[in-house]
Amino acid sequence: MSEPAPVVGIDSVLEVRGLEKHFGGLYALSGLDMDVRKGEIVSVIGPNGAGKSTLFNVITGIYEPDAGDIRYGDVSIVGLRPHQVVKLGIARTFQNVRLFANMTILENAMVGQHCRSKGGVFGSILRTPGIRAEEERIRERAKEALSFFGKRLSGYRLEQPAFSLSYANRRRLEMARALATDPQLLLLDEPTAGMNPRETLELRDHIVRMRDELGLTVIVIEHDMRVVKGVSDRVIACDYGQKIAEGTYDEVAHDERVIEAYLGTKTTDD
Amino acid sequence: MAGTEAPRVEAVRLSRFEQLPWRRIILIILGIVVIGVVGVGATRTLTLGKAEGGYSAGAWRDFVVQGTAQGAIYAMIALGYSLVYGILRMINFAHGEVFMAGSFGSFFFADAYEKSGFLDRDPILALAIVTAVAIGVSVGTAVLLERLAYRPLRNAPRLVPLITAIGASLFLQNTFRGFFGPQPYGYPKPVVLAGNITVLGVPVQRIQLLVLVVAVICMTVLQWFVSTTTTGRSMRAVAQDREIASLMGINVDRVIVTTFVIGGVLAGIAGVLYSLTFEQVQFTMGFKPGIAAFTAAVLGGIGSIGGAALGGFVIGLLQAVGPPLILTGFGIPSVFSLKDAFVFLVLVLVLVFRPGGLLGTGEAEKV
Amino acid sequence: MAASRWVRMGAAAGVVTIFLALVGLIGGFTDVYLIGDQIVFAGLMLVLPAFVAGLVAAAPRVEGGERHEMQLSEAMKAAAVAGAVAGVTFALAVVLADWIGAERIRTVFLNVSPQLMEFVNFGQATGPGALIIVAISALAGVIGGALRVAPRSVRRPVTAAVMVTLVFGFLQRVIPIALDQLKLERDWLYSPEFDGLTWIGAVVVGAVAAGFSVLNARFGERLRGGLARAGGQSGPAISPARLVAGLVGLALLLVAPLLLGSVISEVLGTVMVFALLGVGLNIVVGYAGLLDLGYVFFFALGAYSLALLTGATLNAYGIPPEPVISGHLNFYVAIPIVMVIAAAAGALVGAPVLRLRGDYLALVTLGLGEMVTVLVGSPWLVPLVGGPSGMRGITDAAIGGLAFRDPQRFYYLALAFVGLAAFISWRLATSRIGRAWTAMREDEQTADAMGISTTRFKLLAFAIGGAIGSLGGALFAVKIGSLTPASFQVLVSIQVLGLVILGGMGSIPGVIVGALVLVGLPGLLREFEEYRFLAYGAAVVAVMVLRPQGLVPNVRRSRELQDEERAQDEWAKAVEEGETSPEIATASGATT
Repeated sequence: MSEPAPVVGIDSVLEVRGLEKHFGGLYALSGLDMDVRKGEIVSVIGPNGAGKSTLFNVITGIYEPDAGDIRYGDVSIVGLRPHQVVKLGIARTFQNVRLFANMTILENAMVGQHCRSKGGVFGSILRTPGIRAEEERIRERAKEALSFFGKRLSGYRLEQPAFSLSYANRRRLEMARALATDPQLLLLDEPTAGMNPRETLELRDHIVRMRDELGLTVIVIEHDMRVVKGVSDRVIACDYGQKIAEGTYDEVAHDERVIEAYLGTKTTDD
Repeated sequence: MAGTEAPRVEAVRLSRFEQLPWRRIILIILGIVVIGVVGVGATRTLTLGKAEGGYSAGAWRDFVVQGTAQGAIYAMIALGYSLVYGILRMINFAHGEVFMAGSFGSFFFADAYEKSGFLDRDPILALAIVTAVAIGVSVGTAVLLERLAYRPLRNAPRLVPLITAIGASLFLQNTFRGFFGPQPYGYPKPVVLAGNITVLGVPVQRIQLLVLVVAVICMTVLQWFVSTTTTGRSMRAVAQDREIASLMGINVDRVIVTTFVIGGVLAGIAGVLYSLTFEQVQFTMGFKPGIAAFTAAVLGGIGSIGGAALGGFVIGLLQAVGPPLILTGFGIPSVFSLKDAFVFLVLVLVLVFRPGGLLGTGEAEKV
Repeated sequence: MAASRWVRMGAAAGVVTIFLALVGLIGGFTDVYLIGDQIVFAGLMLVLPAFVAGLVAAAPRVEGGERHEMQLSEAMKAAAVAGAVAGVTFALAVVLADWIGAERIRTVFLNVSPQLMEFVNFGQATGPGALIIVAISALAGVIGGALRVAPRSVRRPVTAAVMVTLVFGFLQRVIPIALDQLKLERDWLYSPEFDGLTWIGAVVVGAVAAGFSVLNARFGERLRGGLARAGGQSGPAISPARLVAGLVGLALLLVAPLLLGSVISEVLGTVMVFALLGVGLNIVVGYAGLLDLGYVFFFALGAYSLALLTGATLNAYGIPPEPVISGHLNFYVAIPIVMVIAAAAGALVGAPVLRLRGDYLALVTLGLGEMVTVLVGSPWLVPLVGGPSGMRGITDAAIGGLAFRDPQRFYYLALAFVGLAAFISWRLATSRIGRAWTAMREDEQTADAMGISTTRFKLLAFAIGGAIGSLGGALFAVKIGSLTPASFQVLVSIQVLGLVILGGMGSIPGVIVGALVLVGLPGLLREFEEYRFLAYGAAVVAVMVLRPQGLVPNVRRSRELQDEERAQDEWAKAVEEGETSPEIATASGATT
């Protein structure tokens, strides 16, 4: 099985340099640097308000940074609109699950394939064979992405509206939707928030599978240290919009500054 | 993504076409066109001789005076929009009808007083009563609107109250049509307000002077009220953060009703002034001033009191001076028939270029 | 205290009745007979508020998070009180009016006419008249209350019977004509003397409607399941009632002009034009979720461009009749050009404007529509579009020798275009493009983050919607044969928006029904023409305040999400513990 043609340079998928973003007087990001290499799973940890979600929002183009650069491969993506960023291969999930609640599960996943399809107006009206084939392909890809999570999001479920799903399944659907965009880099924002222990461990395995089976590079924002420990190749700790530590889980977990930043919110180790 | 039979994802690059900042380009082109039209039109108009349709200095002076008086009325209506928007983050589309209601309601008293001679015997008292009636009807309409149409929708997504407001506006207009008929009624003007008066060497219609004086007084009082009194403070608090304000013990419902009341008072006064100026009431009279006033509120930065006042005067002036200044230069006949279109154009341009208002940041607040 | 609630409801109902009287809906309709010579529209208006008050007073109360159904006796008491109070309120107003003198009030409130006063006093002196009002209102309230507490098996058929009978009563100008055309007896159904339904006719119609209702209740579920199995779906199929209604409706649409004569066909032609506009605006508002208050922009653009392209002439005095730009194309050649112009204009105008937030966008579009309204009537553009006098000599869209200005022929032309537009709309809705629109409507920011260029798709919706709107304008021009600016006011935008909203955003059959009701009914029932916008306004407010679900996805989502979440959590727990198999539980607890 050959490797998919890499979009990006040899090793580095994402380079963030000196990223700054402030909202009025609030400095969400004040000079953040980060490197992510191909095939890595990097966790980003830090207390609430440390700027982690803002980082994702800036990378994906929802906000424009006030200073700094973000390079995806050899291309700077600062100033691109979110849909352009997705097209380049960066997909994301949201901290507070943002599904299209009144669309069916399959439709949600099919939206992911939007950026990989063309479907023009006249073709859609006339239902040309090309369009029909594309719709079929979109449908199949969507189902494939959904099947990554097993039988839960399959079968008759596909036609159910998304709001009828359980919480954990909604999170999975959001991830499947992101997978359906055929990304190279996946940004997961607190994917296990609100899940029970069993679901959390299952998701931890899913994330590793994403890297192993699908060849993705993953950046995960997480608070649950069991997950961080279990998936990460590297951990980056942030506080007040800056990187304060970087390294393996053990290195970072014992770093003084990190402990201070968290002020005693240690979760139990397995 | 790897997959045994899945097609490979080709290397993705964004085309040069897609990368262009289209939004900015369009805005720049549009801006150049607008500035060009304004500049060319104005220069040509000002260089026109009398015979070709140019305007004398006296004509310009009249335009300015008229625009200022009209602007004062717009300012008072605009304040209603701004206040309600500040508190509820919604556009009270039916505010134009609140204005109309006051004017219409007061008509019957004004008419009766004129017929009995009271209006000319004791104009001050008569007008005071007439204005009180107008205020009463406007306030009543505003409060009813709030209670029945807006309060149930306080937490709905923004479009729902807007659509409701449109429906309410239709309903109110047609209620007045049903009650009083579709025809315009002639609004009386007391003799004391007819004719001109010279102020600082400038001939001004007496009614225009009254409008300006009343408007300035009202706005000063309002400013004092909002910045000094407890209620005013509560209003500002609720406008900042409704939840926290209620946690601090402020009765949010009452503050909201107060806001509508104030807006209604101003609209009622504006209604009387407007009808005295144009000597007419009709069930449709709220629509165009309503839009002009809304434009004024947005222009000045919606939610801001000073902004609404400023915006009102600017819009009034633009409406009075703009068409003659810019359009005459292009040889367009009958420029004043286009003055409404002019205001609408200003509305569109303001929302396209600076939805945050002249004094704002250039961006509407984030959703 | 519960009783104060009933009193308040009754008082509100009484105020509504006063309002109806002042606005003219009672006094002007004392001789519009609905059934026999006893039930007149004015009477209906008189007791309807009291009836509703009784209905609401007897409704189950929600207290402490639970529903309390009312006991029969309490419900009856509540309803009677509410109805009586409504009657008392109104009676007091009548007494006051009599005391002040109706003629004096009439100088202000134009509708306080002698007919009105005689009617509300029931031809009696003031005292007895007032008592009758109170009694009748109380009775209406009680009936409302009784209906509310009646078991569903009774309430459904009765409601159906009453509604259908009233509809037949309203359509007294339409149905008899159709019956005449079909050479069927009509005098048993519609009274030749009073124009309304006969009592026999009313009873028959009511009974048949009630019968259908009972049948639907009894066999509807089974039929639905059977249809679903036949269709191979697992989800809910169309209810058989709806399917039948749909087919019947379609058939009626096809044969209507033949049955109903040219006067009614003329009205139906206008209905079809508005339906076409509705289909177009539905794409903008219903699919893409953009609130457009200036749709008249495209309507006018289509009408005037068609006129100019097909050689219409100016009506103004003192200038040559030929417009400065004029073509002499055939209608069918001009139509695609008109649509392209509109789409281009839409894209041009939309580009700087569509990125605005929802409510600002609405107002900008309003401004644009208004500008066009002013411009087409302005002296400046007289050499192009004729100013206030407009243009005339619009083509009659003839193919070969077959002209389409005749009302019945025009209807079919318009119907064909509506069908075409509906087809285009449907195909788009079920395509990738429609998916993108739905996603944008649900959550614009997330759609953008999932690869949908919101600007492009908004522009697309705006342009396509505009093209269809321009088609409507072109057809309108053909229908009338001439154009004046008076036809292009903001009211057109509001009307089309009204029928899209009230017809159910995103639903094409809804739009057509909306056009029939909101444009057709006032057109057919000339007396109600005046009250059209009053009813629109009230309906929009009522719908938005009482039931915005289905119209605005977010609202529905937040309410139903909570129910479903609770149910799903319980089910998920059960699955974990191995108690149930993984099948979906619905909010009501049933498993599928």
